Amino acid sequence: MSVAGWLVFSVCLVLPVTAWAQDERLTERLDSATASQVQEVVDSARRGGLPSEPLVQKALEGATLGASDARIVAAVQTLHGQLRRAREALGGEASDAELTAAAGALRAGLEPSALRRLQSLRPDQPLVVPIAVLTDLVAEGVPPAEATRSVLDLARDGRPDDEFVALRRQAQGRGAGAEPMGRPALRPAADPPVDQ
Amino acid sequence: MSMSAEHDDALEDEVLRQVVGELRKPVRLDPSLDRRALDQIRAESHRIALPTSRRWGVWIAGAAVAAGVLLAVALPDRETPPEPASAVALEQAAVPADARPVRLRLAAPASSRVAVVGDFNDWDPAATPLRPAGDGGTWIVELHLKPGRYHYTFLIDGRRWARDPDSPPAAESDFGPPVSVLTVS
Repeated sequence: MSVAGWLVFSVCLVLPVTAWAQDERLTERLDSATASQVQEVVDSARRGGLPSEPLVQKALEGATLGASDARIVAAVQTLHGQLRRAREALGGEASDAELTAAAGALRAGLEPSALRRLQSLRPDQPLVVPIAVLTDLVAEGVPPAEATRSVLDLARDGRPDDEFVALRRQAQGRGAGAEPMGRPALRPAADPPVDQ
Repeated sequence: MSMSAEHDDALEDEVLRQVVGELRKPVRLDPSLDRRALDQIRAESHRIALPTSRRWGVWIAGAAVAAGVLLAVALPDRETPPEPASAVALEQAAVPADARPVRLRLAAPASSRVAVVGDFNDWDPAATPLRPAGDGGTWIVELHLKPGRYHYTFLIDGRRWARDPDSPPAAESDFGPPVSVLTVS
């Protein structure tokens, strides 16, 4: 191939990457320096085959909640690392939703081995709900070992997603919050705690 | 008719016969004619080739077309930001085939307006307002979300954050205000 041919080939490769380099949501909601820093992380995730939308959403979350620029960048970088670890645990076949859920699980303090074990017990089924329930249980204060054991037991028995959700409700001892429409409302009528 | 005239006519006839005979002979082409013709065409095309700058122009135009095709392929996969939407626009938006209906509610009786911000609306406080349920204190909104895990929180009167008390709290709180987690299966 001639020099010109290689040049054209390179341009064709670079242009889509350049297109990635500008997410209007970031430039509109963050200052330019912060947007650039976040964008670097987002681009790195894309190049690495990781989901990038959770990173954008994390930055937008920080912007809306009034976080400092440094804190926003740090949170995005941390999430990027968690997504990478999640993929190491679940492998390249995991969906974006599964990786995102797994990143949250790792953030909650769960071990990658628990995710791998769960995956091995449900090889042909989505893992989002079991991983989410596992994470929620830990977030609610259930010791990670106990939460892991309970979720893996359900997975081992081939139970459907609904039973994982029921486990979380059981552990919480109350309704499931944002319920799918059509199900009975279990929401208490009392005012929620309002935080400033 | 004189003898001379007859002779002339016969001579012309003979000449014509010979000419016709020659013309009727099959033409035998030189076997190398095609090759020589092609060589000549190549030489001419080289001589009249575009100047270098114009050739680069062709390459650049080709690159632009190729890049356009690539972008057309790549951009639909890009997570483009939705326009800030009113509640009505949100409800009228096309619902993905795999989206699930989800209802969010918050009891906030002393409030004049409530909105929800989260991973599903780019954390835009103007995108998803809740509406009064009619019981004097509860605010509700219906969403259609694809399966996945979403972080969200409520914004009351544009200045107070409130976590959904009936959904699990986020395991991480990166930015201070409380955040809930919603799993759609």
